Amino acid sequence: MNKYLQVFKISFQQEFAYRLNFIMWRVRNVLQIFVVFFLWDTVFSFREGELFGYDRDRILTYVFGLIFIKAFVLSARAQDVAGEIARGDIINYLLKPVSYFKYWLTRDISSKALNLIFAVFEFGILYLILKPPFYFQTNPFQILLSVVAICIAIYTFYLILFIVNVIPFWAPEMGWGGHFLVTVILVEFLSGSLFPLDILPANLQNILSFTPFPYLIFFPLQVYLGKITGLLLLKGIVVSLVWIVILWFFMKWVWNKGFKAYQAYGR
Amino acid sequence: MDVKRLIYYFKIWVFMSKNSFLMVLNQKNVLLIFLVGKVLRFLFFIAFLFFLVKGAENLAGYNSTQAIFFFLTFMVVDTTSQFFFREVYRFRTFVITGDFDLILAKPMNALFRVLLGGADVIDLITLPPLYAATIYVGNLLTPTPYQIFVYLLLLLTGFLITAAFHIIVISLGIINLEVDHTIMIYRDITAMGRFPIDIYRQPVRGILTYFIPVAIMMTYPAKAFFGLVNFQGILLAIGIAGVFMFISLRFWNFALKKYTSASS
Repeated sequence: MNKYLQVFKISFQQEFAYRLNFIMWRVRNVLQIFVVFFLWDTVFSFREGELFGYDRDRILTYVFGLIFIKAFVLSARAQDVAGEIARGDIINYLLKPVSYFKYWLTRDISSKALNLIFAVFEFGILYLILKPPFYFQTNPFQILLSVVAICIAIYTFYLILFIVNVIPFWAPEMGWGGHFLVTVILVEFLSGSLFPLDILPANLQNILSFTPFPYLIFFPLQVYLGKITGLLLLKGIVVSLVWIVILWFFMKWVWNKGFKAYQAYGR
Repeated sequence: MDVKRLIYYFKIWVFMSKNSFLMVLNQKNVLLIFLVGKVLRFLFFIAFLFFLVKGAENLAGYNSTQAIFFFLTFMVVDTTSQFFFREVYRFRTFVITGDFDLILAKPMNALFRVLLGGADVIDLITLPPLYAATIYVGNLLTPTPYQIFVYLLLLLTGFLITAAFHIIVISLGIINLEVDHTIMIYRDITAMGRFPIDIYRQPVRGILTYFIPVAIMMTYPAKAFFGLVNFQGILLAIGIAGVFMFISLRFWNFALKKYTSASS
């Protein structure tokens, strides 16, 4: 346990080695929130009442909630694994008495901790600038379950990243391509980080609910907003847990296959 | 610049683009993944806009066809500029490895080489269907020939401002060695032009019109297409494009003087 604590500390310090990079990444996050905020603010300034099941308070809480959920779930270092495989650097880790999977999970948690600290500041600044109305969840049970949903989301995204990272075992030049397709395109649109998935037709939402993507962003926020309760909430938690099991076994299987095919070019 | 010189540079551009295309075409799987990704992103966003405006009935007073036309105009400016200026994304490597020295020593304009030296074949593949979609949706809005003319004119000013921004980014790259995030921040800011500028409150709207003229680049052409930009607006767009191009070229010259060739 102690060695992973050291990995956490070193990784946290490493983030400060490239301060400009980190600040630029956070600036990008804020800009993206800006666009989504103004979009929904405009949509609701032209109408009274609810739209897609949201009132003005709830939709703007969804937008601001994105700052935290994205910092929790989508900020990750594990995307560097593909590069380590492509360059052959992964060999160094395999010789050390550490679990490669736990090593990167620790680095991810360290990255999330730092991103979260910045997210709190950004939240405060944006709140002062935009002064949005907020929906505060008062039911402790819903708050607790939204925290559970976030924890599941963090682990699900980590497993997705680790699965996408295996591509360079077979095609070293395709590491970034896989990330682009899965984490930049599919996760961005299908997780609810650009728009709440409720705006899609019911049958599309139904299909999406059987994929892991809505459980990354959309589902935890829906739980916090109290839009998902009772049996639907239970179904969501169960489906997301099932996805963790499926992704875990798939990740193990595909990594074993990858190691057998790996020739560590350049080493 | 005389015609002979223009032909000389055009031939170099064709030559560099061929090399760039061959590099990507050699990795067909990578090409396929990025192509699928770009098409999916485009389709997802169109679907999002369609369902959003359908549910909300309008977006800042624009109907769904108009909102989609705003997005298509953004895509035309964005994708065309990426097709031409993809080399900017590789500029940092030139500076930190010292390879920029080799570019400076060649008998051609260094700015031309680092700005236009690596046209993107993936964007080239996506451009014809994108233009076709823009023409198709534009046709549904029944514009007059004058509106089409002003639209094309303002697209041109949009391309000029885009070029100016890319020049500023590579100039900053010479000074502080940071290109990757700067170009992505530029792209995040221009992404604000995916929606009509009318959705933003003041002072954001003012900043996006005069300071970082995303409105001039992306929104004005589409608005002109709907007949919503007057003559002063057209002059403003041309003026801002000229000012930005002037500033960017001066900044490039300034940055070149700061280049120390430290890595070579």
